Parts: sequence; structure tokens; C-alpha cells
Amino acid sequence: MAGRTFGAKLAAGFGLTLALTLLMTTTSVLALRYVLVTKDKVVEIAASTLVEAQSMNVLIERRIADYRAYILSGKAEWLNATAQDRKDFLDQVTRVRETLDDPTAIRLLDAVSAAEAKHATTIDDVIAKRQKITSLTSTAQLSNPQAKPAREALQAAIASLIARIGKIVATLRKESSDRATYAILFLLGLGVVLITSAAGVAWRLSRDLRREVGAAVGHIQSSSSELEAAAAQQASGGRDQASAMSEITTTISELLITSRQIADSAQRVSKIAEDTADAARTGDATIDQTRASINAIRAQVDQIVQHMLSLGEKSQQIGTVVDLVSELAEQTNILAINATIEASGAGEWGRRFAVVAEEIRKLADRTAGSAKEIRTLIDDVRGAVNTTVMATEIGAKAVDAGTRQFDDATNSFRRIVQLVATTSEATREIELSTKQQTTAVEQVNSAASDTARASRETEASAVQTKQTAAHLSTLSGDLLDLVGTRGH
Amino acid sequence: MSPGVADRIERLRWEFDRSFAEPVRRHDEEHVELLEIGAGGRPYALRLAQTAGLHPDRPVTPLPGPLPALLGLAGFAGAVIPVYDLAALLGHPIAERPRWLVLASGLPPLGLAFHELHGHVRVAAEAIVGEEAGEDPRGCVRGLAGLGGAARPIVDVPATRAQVHALTGHVRTEEAGR
Repeated sequence: MAGRTFGAKLAAGFGLTLALTLLMTTTSVLALRYVLVTKDKVVEIAASTLVEAQSMNVLIERRIADYRAYILSGKAEWLNATAQDRKDFLDQVTRVRETLDDPTAIRLLDAVSAAEAKHATTIDDVIAKRQKITSLTSTAQLSNPQAKPAREALQAAIASLIARIGKIVATLRKESSDRATYAILFLLGLGVVLITSAAGVAWRLSRDLRREVGAAVGHIQSSSSELEAAAAQQASGGRDQASAMSEITTTISELLITSRQIADSAQRVSKIAEDTADAARTGDATIDQTRASINAIRAQVDQIVQHMLSLGEKSQQIGTVVDLVSELAEQTNILAINATIEASGAGEWGRRFAVVAEEIRKLADRTAGSAKEIRTLIDDVRGAVNTTVMATEIGAKAVDAGTRQFDDATNSFRRIVQLVATTSEATREIELSTKQQTTAVEQVNSAASDTARASRETEASAVQTKQTAAHLSTLSGDLLDLVGTRGH
Repeated sequence: MSPGVADRIERLRWEFDRSFAEPVRRHDEEHVELLEIGAGGRPYALRLAQTAGLHPDRPVTPLPGPLPALLGLAGFAGAVIPVYDLAALLGHPIAERPRWLVLASGLPPLGLAFHELHGHVRVAAEAIVGEEAGEDPRGCVRGLAGLGGAARPIVDVPATRAQVHALTGHVRTEEAGR
């Protein structure tokens, strides 16, 4: 019966009990019916066959009486009566034969018929003798030695038949009583089986009720406790959630303010980005002008370099001329010295000439000094020219590098322009997104408020659930008490 | 033109004009003409009166011989003159080839080569420190000349000729006469 519902088990138990009850009722009816039939048969046999057989005895006695009356009176009345009596007896024999089915009894009835026939023959002889006698003086005249044995034989035969029939009746009655006893015993056995089954069903149902319903109720009780704990937890969780949701609502409100500020800032940034883009476009024209200026500077620097190189060549030429002058001064000096030497050996005029030679030598010295100064100056000039050329070349290289860097800067500037355009676009997108975000945050705020309200409702319903669970737990305990499995 | 140069030009012009206005001067005994030279990297002076000419960059034909001071022979006015390195004669020869050459006055002709010509000066006779009388002169240097705060040894040309003669094995007439 495992796996079936308790209702099915209950129905099965009651069905089994009902079936056994029905079986017992039917069996009882059948047994009673059977006993009744057998008893009826006994009564019938006793009532018909035995009575009929007994009436045979009566009829034969009446015939004998009528026969004797005829013997005594000689009247035809009694003769007719005797004949009538025999006819009745034969009819009775026929009726008895119809009721008999026992072969021994039939054989005994045949013996009765035979004895009666013999008796009748004897009687007929006597009657014939009587009819011949008109006046009867003594019965001895009619004596017949065979008459008495025939009568006794007939009576004995009838008695045997009656005894036989009585024996049959007794046998039947005994059989009937035995069968009734059997039926009673059978019914008793069946009753024992029925009681046992009912007790078994009741025990089984009680056990299952304790076991399954008790376990289920125990589960219900523990589940109720768990449900109560869960409801308490849910209530506290709902409380926390409600407070958290209110905090969230506050935070979202702040977030909303921040979001609006971001939207304003994004708008300002977008404006600034557009201004920057305009300025960058203006700067593009400035870059072109600056590029032209740089190219002009480059050309000027090249010219300066050319001029400086030319100046260097010119100063070199001047240096050559100064070398020539120096050489001339040196030669003049040498000539003046030699003139002085010559003059020293030429007497008085030589002395005067020596003065002139000295003047010439002084002039040559001064010329040489001036040439040396010029040489120094020219060297300075050449050094300055070289320095200037080098500086100018460095400047030209710097201008080239600056041009390249300016190209890089121009490219960077153009990239900046593009990036500024991208930034402007992105800022507009940020502005739009921030506005959408603001709307979404407002919706979230509303939803959070709804959620906070729902949390409070959840808390209330959880408290109610907790109370219901406690009530359910108490009911489960009561039910366990009812089932009788408390403490299992 | 800078003012300094203009002043210099003006001064030169003035001095040049003034030289024509001065009375005729004469070189008397109070002054000595000196050549400031450098030989072997050292400063020396030569009396101009002991020389017969100054020449730069004269070609000198080297002569093989045992005397390192003899640079070779040079031609002057149709005469062949031996040229000696003055620095080697003074005892501190250097590897550099001398550029200048003076002809010694007197006979036999002699060329003395030196490396640098610093200038031609006239100094007062008292500025020259002579040697004590009676002292036996040795070497070619005779006296000192104070020039510009520095003292220059004066190379005596006849003494130098005598040293050259001694190197070449000639007996000098002055010594023979003593």
C-alpha cells in the first residue's frame, strides 16, 4: 500500500471490510437457505412419506375390519367396503411409491404389495366361502389357516416399510443437522476472518495515520517554524530594504542634482569646444601666415649667409693686401736700416741722410704696426664672419628644424582641430546622454520610491506571515497531539 | 673711422710736418745704433756700426763640413760669403733655420744668420754697460744694452769673427800681434 494516498488506503480498508461483510452476509443467507432446504426436505419426507406409510397401516386395518364385518354379517355393504378399502390401499401404495426414491424402501414397498396380494387372495378365498354360506353358525366354517400368516406378513411388511422410512427420516435429519452445524462453523470462521481483517485494517490505518500523517504534520510543524523564521527574516530584510531604499532614494536625488550639473557642464564644455574649434580654424590661417614668414626668414638667412661668405672672402682679400703692405713696410724698414748702415760710413752727409733714413724707418715701423693692427682687425672680422656664418648656418638649420617642427606643430594643430571637432561632437553626445540619464535617474527615483513602499508592504505582509506561521505551528502541535505522535 | 685712428692720423701728420720744421740734426757720439735681434730664442743686440748690411731670406747654399755653425755660402754683390749661425756660435743652437742675415763689416767678409729681427733703435751711449778695462774678454758678447726695461747682451761682431776664425783654425792677426 506504499505510495498510495491515505484516502485510498482508507477506502481500500473500508472496501475490504465491506467486501468481507458482504461475503459473510451472503454466506449466512446461503447457509440458512441450505439448512432450511434440508430441514424442509426432512419435514416433507417425515410429513408425506411417513404419514402416507402410516396411513397404509390404517387402511389395511380398516380393510381387515370391513372384511371381518362382512364375514360376520354377510352383507354386501361390507363386501363393497372391503373392496373399496383394498382399492384405497392400492392407491395409497401407488402414492407412497411416487414419494419414495430409496431402493430399499421401494423393495420393501414391493414386499408390502406382494404380501397384500397374498393377503387379498387369502381374503378372497374366505369371502368366497362366506358367500356360499347363507347362515353362518360358526366362524370355524370359514377358517383358513393361511389367513393369519398372510395378515401378519402384510403387517410386518408395512411395519418394515415404516421403519425403513423412519430410518430414512432420521438419517436425513441427522445430515441436515450436521450441515447446519457445518454452516455455523463456517460462518464462525468467516466471522473470525472478518474481525481479524477489520482489526488488521484498523491497525494498519492507525499505523499509517500515525506514521504518515504524523510525519507530514511534523514536517508541517517544522516547516511552519522555518516559515516563521523566514518570515521574521523577511520582515527584518524588508525593514532593512525599506531603509536602504530610502537611502537609495536620497542618493538618487543627489545623483539627479549632480546629473543636472553634469548636463550644464557638458553644455558649457560643448560651447567651449565650439569656440575652440572656431579659434582653431582662425589659427589655421595664422599658421599659414606664420609658415610664409618662416619661409621668408629662411630666404633672408640664406641671403645673410651668402653676404657673410662674401664678406669673408672680401676680408680675406683685404688680408692679402695687408700682407702686401706688411711686406712693403718690412722691406722699407730693411732698406732704411741698410741706408742707415750705408750712411754711417758716408761722413757728414751720411749722417744727415741717416736722419732721413731713420724717419723712413719710423714710417715703415708705423706702417707695419698699422698693418699688424689691420691684420688683427681683419682676423677679428674674419673670426666674427666665421662665427656669424656658423651661427647663421646654425640658425638656418634651426630654421629648418623649426620649419619641420612647425610642420609637426601644424599637423598637431590640425589634429587638434579634428580632435576638437570630435570633442565637440562627443561633448554634445555627453550632453544628450546626460539629459537622457537625468530622465532615467528620475524614473529610477520614482521606481525606488515604489520599491521602498513595496518593501514596507512586504515587511507588513512578512509580519503577518510570521504570525500565521506561528499559528500554523501551534495548530500542527495540536494536530500531532490528536494523531498521537507527539514526541516522535 | 674711429676717433682714435683719426687722432693717430692727425698726430702722424703733425709729426711728419714737424720733422721738416726741425733744424738739421746729426747723429753724434752720444748715441749708438743697435739692431734688436733674437737668436736661438734669446734676445740680443748688434751694433749697427759693425754691420755692412741686413738681408732677409737670402738663399744659402749648404756646405758639407765638420762645423755645425757654418750654414753655407751666400752670394752678395758678386762675392761669395760664408754664413754662420749666430745662435750656434753663441752656444745654443736650435733646429729652426734662421731667416735674417747681417753682413759683418770689415774683412774677410762674414755673414751672421739669426732668427728674428725685433727692431732698430738708437740708444744713448750711457745706456750701454761696458766691460771693465783690462778684463780678458771671452766669447762674443761685449756689454749690455738696457732697452725698454730689459737688458740685451750686445754681440760684438769682430769678436764673433775672431771666434769663427778660431773655429776654422786661422790665427788672428790681433793675437799674433800681441
